[in-house]
Amino acid sequence: MIKPASVFLSCILFASCTNTREKSSDQTEKKSDTAVVHTPPANPYAPIDISPMDMSYFPVNYSQQRMTHDMATPPVMRVIYSRPHRQGRSIFGDLLKYGERWRLGANEASEIEFFQNVTIQDKKVNAGRYIIYCIPFQDKWTIILNNDLYTWGLKIDSTKDLMQFDIPVKKTSVDFEYFTMVFQPITNGAQLVMAWDDTEGRLPINF
Amino acid sequence: MKQIILLSLLIISVLIAKSQSNNLPPVDKSPMDMCYYPNNYPVLKIQDKATEPLVARVIYSRPQKNGRLIFGELVEYGKVWRLGANEATEIEFFRNVKIGDKKVEKGRYTLYAIPAEDNWTIVLNKDNDTWGAFKYDEQKDVLRTAVPVQKLNEGVEALAMTFEKSDSGCNLIIAWDNIKASLPISLK
Repeated sequence: MIKPASVFLSCILFASCTNTREKSSDQTEKKSDTAVVHTPPANPYAPIDISPMDMSYFPVNYSQQRMTHDMATPPVMRVIYSRPHRQGRSIFGDLLKYGERWRLGANEASEIEFFQNVTIQDKKVNAGRYIIYCIPFQDKWTIILNNDLYTWGLKIDSTKDLMQFDIPVKKTSVDFEYFTMVFQPITNGAQLVMAWDDTEGRLPINF
Repeated sequence: MKQIILLSLLIISVLIAKSQSNNLPPVDKSPMDMCYYPNNYPVLKIQDKATEPLVARVIYSRPQKNGRLIFGELVEYGKVWRLGANEATEIEFFRNVKIGDKKVEKGRYTLYAIPAEDNWTIVLNKDNDTWGAFKYDEQKDVLRTAVPVQKLNEGVEALAMTFEKSDSGCNLIIAWDNIKASLPISLK
């Protein structure tokens, strides 16, 4: 009887600690809930990035799903991006200026690859690999596909822009500490959801 | 006692509900990373310092040692290892190359290793967009080549990959814990 009791007690202790922490940060300032950034140990070959890279597929979790399902078709698309975190900063209209280019990530320019032809806002987008970036405004984002592959996000050659799409933005119900890109299924395709801080944009992609 | 149990269950379910309130992906424990030959190609490119075209890039996730014994233990000798975490590790060549006298066409491949105590067999496989080595299919191998490994004096906490220039092209360096392997890639 002692063992389960102590487990439950520690659960309660853990829960109450977590609650206290959240409460105190709520009280100090709305946006100070940032996770502590641990400095990774030195690595002589390749240091760990502060803004880690990530990958999203459509169909959602395509590669992971292959562990348990036979996927009948190849993936439709994937995006590779790095995930900056808010760290208590105010993002839209502040860190990211309205009307200025935003690399939709960190480090390497974010890359989207279509493994088949798709249609975005009635325009055909050929299968292939593109750089994706954004110009945020208060009420809309302009999403741009660009041909300047394998580059660093801070300097994208806009003479290689291929097409651009305006999408509405909306406030999110939860705050996103880490910038997040993920695909979600919609009728006739999928949308690329791009969310950070309290704002998100969705780019519908049809196929 | 009953009350404590009920209270605990309630708190636990609230915590679980909280952690699931946003169904978008959390940050991975083993972060993804990318390396290139030439090293840091994108940075060189924006500084106009790239003197050679892009040859290769690797996309891999970086598990941490976390105090565990890695080779011969967590990563068993003689078994296919995913050389990473999460999504299968991917190597892409932007031109034809040669590995161990075998021509490798430009394109995307999944990279695995079969570690042994004093050498690793590096495997290039054409089944892409997969997860780890859980669905590894030997039939789809493009090549296997054995490379020697070297013991390191200083431990490497997170699996690391990088390229170094060689006389015939470049070597893909793979290091974790106290082991370093080097895969020669010929550009001649």
